[in-house]
Amino acid sequence: MNDLVTLSNGLAAAVQQTSRSIFGVTARRRMGSTGVHWRPGLVVTADHTVQTEDDITLTRPDGRSVSATLAGRDPTVDLAVLRVDAGDVPAARIGDSSAVQAGHIVLAVGEGPRASWGVVSSIASGRGGAGRALFDLDLTLYPGFSGGALVDVSGQVIGINTSGASRSQHLAIPAAVVEGLLDGLQRRGHIPRPYLGVSTQPVRLPDALRQRFSLEQATAVIVVAVQPGSPAAQSGLMIGDVVVSLGGASITDPLDLRRVLQPDRVGETVVASVVRGGEPRELQLRVGERSR
Amino acid sequence: MINLSHLAERLRRITAEVADSGASLGSGVLWPPGCVVTNAHVVRGSRAAVRLIDGRRLEGQVIARDADADLALLRVLGTGIPAASIGDMAAPVGSLVAAMGHPLGVRGALSVGIVHAVGPIRPGGRSWIQADVRLERGNSGGPLADASGQVIGLNAMVVGPLALAIPMREVARFVRAAGVSGT
Repeated sequence: MNDLVTLSNGLAAAVQQTSRSIFGVTARRRMGSTGVHWRPGLVVTADHTVQTEDDITLTRPDGRSVSATLAGRDPTVDLAVLRVDAGDVPAARIGDSSAVQAGHIVLAVGEGPRASWGVVSSIASGRGGAGRALFDLDLTLYPGFSGGALVDVSGQVIGINTSGASRSQHLAIPAAVVEGLLDGLQRRGHIPRPYLGVSTQPVRLPDALRQRFSLEQATAVIVVAVQPGSPAAQSGLMIGDVVVSLGGASITDPLDLRRVLQPDRVGETVVASVVRGGEPRELQLRVGERSR
Repeated sequence: MINLSHLAERLRRITAEVADSGASLGSGVLWPPGCVVTNAHVVRGSRAAVRLIDGRRLEGQVIARDADADLALLRVLGTGIPAASIGDMAAPVGSLVAAMGHPLGVRGALSVGIVHAVGPIRPGGRSWIQADVRLERGNSGGPLADASGQVIGLNAMVVGPLALAIPMREVARFVRAAGVSGT
């Protein structure tokens, strides 16, 4: 029985500790969401809950309202960063998300504070973009919980929760991904949006082609438009080219392109493996930045 | 090692099954001595059968009812009827809670979760203990307890994945108003 009471007290303390750094976020019409005061003056939330860039209001833990501005966003990982005068609201205690394992007990903390609990059910590598992982959660993300904190039993924030734009998912973006995004934001002053200048559609790869080039993937994307003067045009990419990989990651549908093109890829040169007229080619693509 | 079997056993002893000529209606909490507190929506008539964990079936008579508060008090006659230990402490958000009841006809089922929030679910509404715990029909009237086994709420409603329990302070007020001296 004492073990139970100890666990219970620990969970309650973890919620209380985290709630000091939790903001309510009002940046869309129908429902508010949650944000975590990650670094002094920077609140992280789920990108899909930020539908306005001009009129963003945050609710401090003490209930007072403060206005915020959008400092940057990365829709590919569903993160947005808001700038706010946080006053005496402390920044959250950030934990080491690389130590998280499937089966760990976790809490989701939303504004209020409100909480739910469960476990990390799996860690899906690659789904958060090239080489990045997402936490799959077995817990309830209540309405308004997107952008809130995923907290371990010691009260450290190990991720940002999101139900996704569909509201049916139960995912968390690991703290390490958030840290990387914030490092880039503070280095450049903004979060760049990668740009290739290409439109694509999914395409099924004929078996003969797959065997000839030893491709495991069943689909790729076909280029249907190339913007003149864009990075894609400069690399020599042409309408009709079938892109099977980019930067070493397989491209099976147009969303895969976005997953590869994380903000930190801007300015990098990546190799696009394409099939043109039945023959393989490799093109050097310098990832551009979408104008702001 | 975390083991909830003692907590489950403790709650089973103080949780009654409230039935009506055979059909199970819901759950109830044995408290104060010789009485069962449950939801008003569980017992609509003036009598109900009360089944204890030891298998005894007792006749319960409704001696107080408050439909607005969704509370009813039954008196049962028998000897050696246990009584719940009632907590008056606040239930902090995140703390463990355990519910006992007879969901979907399963007798003495334990559900475990945490306190989601305490307060109204809509502005101006009544205050609930909102719990992140899975409850079903048949849990109504049963206890919501903290990790030490103290009953902190009476399970009353489910809203989506959220369980709503009437805080025990409110239940105690109802029992006192019915002229029954509780413990």
